[in-house]
Amino acid sequence: MATHVHSHSPASPTERLLEPVWAEVTAITPEAEGISTYWLKFSDPAVAAAYTFQPGQFNMIYLPGYGEAAISICSDPESTSVIGHSIRFVGNVTRAISRLKVGDVVGVRGPFGSAWPMKEMEGHDVIIACGGIGLPPLRPAIYHIMNHREKFGKVFLLYGARTPKDMLYPTEFEEWERAGIQVQVTVDRADEDWQGQVGVVPMLFYRFRMDAPNSVVLTCGPEIMIRFVVYEGLARRVPADQIYVSLERNMKCGQGSCGHCQLGPYFICKDGPVFRFDTLQPYFNVEEF
Amino acid sequence: MDPLDELRLELQKIPWFRELQIKHLDMLAGITQLRSVKAGEVLFREGDRAGAIYIVLSGRIALDMAVPPRGKIRFHTAEMWEVIGWSSATPVVYQRTASATAVVDGRLAMIDSAKLRELCDQDHDLGYLVMRRLANIVASRLMSSRLQLLDMFADPETKNAK
Amino acid sequence: MQSDRSPEIGSTVAIQKNVFNSLLSKLKEQGYEIVGPHVENETLVYAPIAKLEDLPRGFVTEQEAGSFRLVYTGHTRYFDIIPGAQSWKQYLFPSRAELFTLRKADGTWNMETPRPTAPAYAFIGVRGCELAAIQIQDNAFLRGDFTDPIYRAAREKAFILAVNCLHPASTCFCASMGTGPRVEGDADLTLTELEDVFLLNVGSELGRNILSGLPFESASAFVLNAANRGLERAAQQMGRSMDTSDLPDLILNNLDHVHWREIGERCLSCANCTQVCPTCFCWDATDTLSLDGNQTRRERVWDSCFNPGYSYQAGGNTRPTIHSRYRQWMSHKLGTWKVQYGTFGCTGCGRCITWCPAAIDITVEIANLRKEIR
Repeated sequence: MATHVHSHSPASPTERLLEPVWAEVTAITPEAEGISTYWLKFSDPAVAAAYTFQPGQFNMIYLPGYGEAAISICSDPESTSVIGHSIRFVGNVTRAISRLKVGDVVGVRGPFGSAWPMKEMEGHDVIIACGGIGLPPLRPAIYHIMNHREKFGKVFLLYGARTPKDMLYPTEFEEWERAGIQVQVTVDRADEDWQGQVGVVPMLFYRFRMDAPNSVVLTCGPEIMIRFVVYEGLARRVPADQIYVSLERNMKCGQGSCGHCQLGPYFICKDGPVFRFDTLQPYFNVEEF
Repeated sequence: MDPLDELRLELQKIPWFRELQIKHLDMLAGITQLRSVKAGEVLFREGDRAGAIYIVLSGRIALDMAVPPRGKIRFHTAEMWEVIGWSSATPVVYQRTASATAVVDGRLAMIDSAKLRELCDQDHDLGYLVMRRLANIVASRLMSSRLQLLDMFADPETKNAK
Repeated sequence: MQSDRSPEIGSTVAIQKNVFNSLLSKLKEQGYEIVGPHVENETLVYAPIAKLEDLPRGFVTEQEAGSFRLVYTGHTRYFDIIPGAQSWKQYLFPSRAELFTLRKADGTWNMETPRPTAPAYAFIGVRGCELAAIQIQDNAFLRGDFTDPIYRAAREKAFILAVNCLHPASTCFCASMGTGPRVEGDADLTLTELEDVFLLNVGSELGRNILSGLPFESASAFVLNAANRGLERAAQQMGRSMDTSDLPDLILNNLDHVHWREIGERCLSCANCTQVCPTCFCWDATDTLSLDGNQTRRERVWDSCFNPGYSYQAGGNTRPTIHSRYRQWMSHKLGTWKVQYGTFGCTGCGRCITWCPAAIDITVEIANLRKEIR
C-alpha cells in the first residue's frame, strides 16, 4: 500500500466532526488561467507549530457558508510556516475561494490521506508522470527529493499541460533540473511559437530510457491520463507494485466516515489518495465505479 | 569515412534497425540519405507530394496544421528516433497531411518512400518488418491523438470537455 | 413469586406481562427516554412509549416487495409486529444534526460546537436483525482511528431490550444472513413473548439491575422449549432467503455484468432503500447561511449513494447512470463492506424490498445475477 499516515495534527482531531482551525491567506500566486496558489498560515501558533504533512496528502479548505473542498498540499514538507495549495476554480467552494484576498481567513482541516512512498523509493529511479492540476500533489515529493537528492537514483519529471500557458510552476523547472531532475514537459497543443514538445504525457515514456525493474512511477492527473501512464509503465515492465497513483473522488469528511469517496473497498480520503497500483487493479477498469 | 558506412553506423543506433538482418539493413541503407536541418527549416508542407519518410536522429520536428482562422496549430513533435511522414509508406497517400518544421537544429534519416514500397513488395520479409514497425507508429500516434481529442486537461465545467 | 433478588447474567426468567410496566417505570426512573414500536397516524413508527399499552398489540404488518400494510388482527401479543420504515438508526445517527454554528463578529468567525447531548435511550423491541445493524454501524462510527462523537454520545448510553421474532414478515431473510430470528448480539435484555408471559434473557449487568426487585421466576423447561420451538418455526417460515455462499466474489468478480444495467432500467434512484436501511451510514454536510452572511450553521444530513450529488466531483459525476449507483449500493452491502468491516452491510431485515417503489428485491437480484453467470 501507499504510505499510511497515522499521526494526527491539531487540525485533524479524531473525535470531532468537520471543525476547522483557522488560517490566514498570506499570499496568492497566480499560476495559470483559473489556477492560483494560496499560501496559508495557521492563526493559532500552537497549531502552526504542530502541523506537519507528508507529500501527497491533502487538506480540507472551508469557507463558511459555502462548504469545504479537498485540496492537495503543494509546498515543501520541510517548510511548514506557510502551507501552499494550488487551487483550480471549478466548483462552488473553489470559485468562492477565488474571490479571497490576502489577509482573509479560511478554515482548514488536515492533513488527510496516504502519502507518496518517499521512504520505499530510496535507492530507486523515480518517474513522476503527471498532467494538468496533477502536478501540485507531486510538488512536495519533488521538494523532498531535492532535499534528499543523494538518496534517489535518476529522477524524471514528465509533465503535460493543455497548452503552454496552462503549465504550472514553469519558472521552477530550471531549478529542478539543476537539482538533478530531468524535466520533460509536453503540451496537448500549441501554436508555432512553442519550442517545446507537443504530445500527451504517456508518449513521453517513449522518449527516455528507463531501468524499469528499478524504477518507481508516481502519477497524478485526470483519471484517463493516469490509466494510460499506468499502461505505458506496465508495458515497459515496471512492476505493478512500483507504480503509485493518486486518485480524486468526492472527498467530504477526510476521515473515511461519510462514504462519498469510496472506490470499491477503499475510502479514497483515508486509504488513498495515493494507492499502490496493484491494490487498485481489480477496480481500475470498471466503468462508473 | 565511407558515406555509406557512416549512414549504416547512424542507422544502427536506432533501436529498431538493430533488430534487422544485415541484408535488410543494407537494402534500407541503399534508399536512405542523411540530412541536416536548421531551426525553422520547413521539411515539407501540407499538400506537398509525399516522397520520403523521416527518422529523427537528433533535434525536434514539429507537425502543424493551418486552421483558418485559428492559425497554425501544433499537434505533435517528433523527438529522437521517432518517425514522421509515415503515411507515405502506404500506397494510397501521396500528399502530406501536415507541415513539418524543425524546431531546433537537427539531423534526419530520409528514406525514399517509393523505393521503400518497392523493396517491401520484392522482399516480403522486409515488408513485414517495415509494416509491423509502421503499425506500432500508427498505434502510438492514434493513442496520442485520441487523448488529445479528449482534451483531458480542459476545465471540467466547460461543455467542450464533456 | 420471588422478588427480592437479581437474576444471574445469562439466565432466562419469566415475568407476567403486566410486570413489564414496572420495568418501563424503572427505566424511566433511571433517566431513560423510552422508545419503541407504536402505531401513530395509521402506521408503525418508533416513538416515545410509557407503558405496555403503547405497544402495537393486535397489529401485524403485511409486507411485500413495494408494499406495506398495517393490519389489525386483534391478536394479544405486544411484540409480534415486524418493523416498518423506521429503524433505531434515527436515534443513534440522526438524519439531521448540527455540527457547529459560526457567527461573524468584528470580521472573525466564532465557532460554537454543541456538545453531543443525546438522551439515554432505552430501545424497547430491537429485533435480531436490528441489533446486528446497530453493531454494523458501530464498526463504521466507532473505529480505532476515528470516533464519531454524535453517534458515540447516543450509543454508549443506550439500553437495549431486544426481542426474538416469532412471526417474521414475508420480506424477512435474517435467518440466511445469520442475524435472526433469534437475537444473536449483545443486548441488555432479550425478550421472547409467549401467550401468557414474557421470557427475559439477562445479557448485562444493566439488564440485571433493571430486573432486580421486580417479580420474576425462573423460566421453566416447558416455556423455554416453547420459545425454542417458536424460533425454529420462525426460521423455517421466513419468507425469503439470501444465498451468501459465493459472496462477495459473485459481485466483485462481475462488476461489468450486463445484469446491473437491467436492474438500472427498473431502479428509480429514489434512495428509499438507503434511507430505510438500518446500516447505511453515508452522510453529507450542509451550510445554512443567514441572509446577512454573518451566521452559518453546519449540519450533518443523511446522504445516499443514489443521489446524483453523492458522486459529483469537479465538473462531473463519477457514477452518472442509475445502474452504476445501484451497483455501488449492492456491491457495498454484499461485497466491499465485508472487506472494509468484516461483515456484510445487510442484515436481512427486508426494508429495502418493502420500501422500493419499483419492488426491486435484493434477494431476487442476487439470485438472478448468480443464475445469469452460471
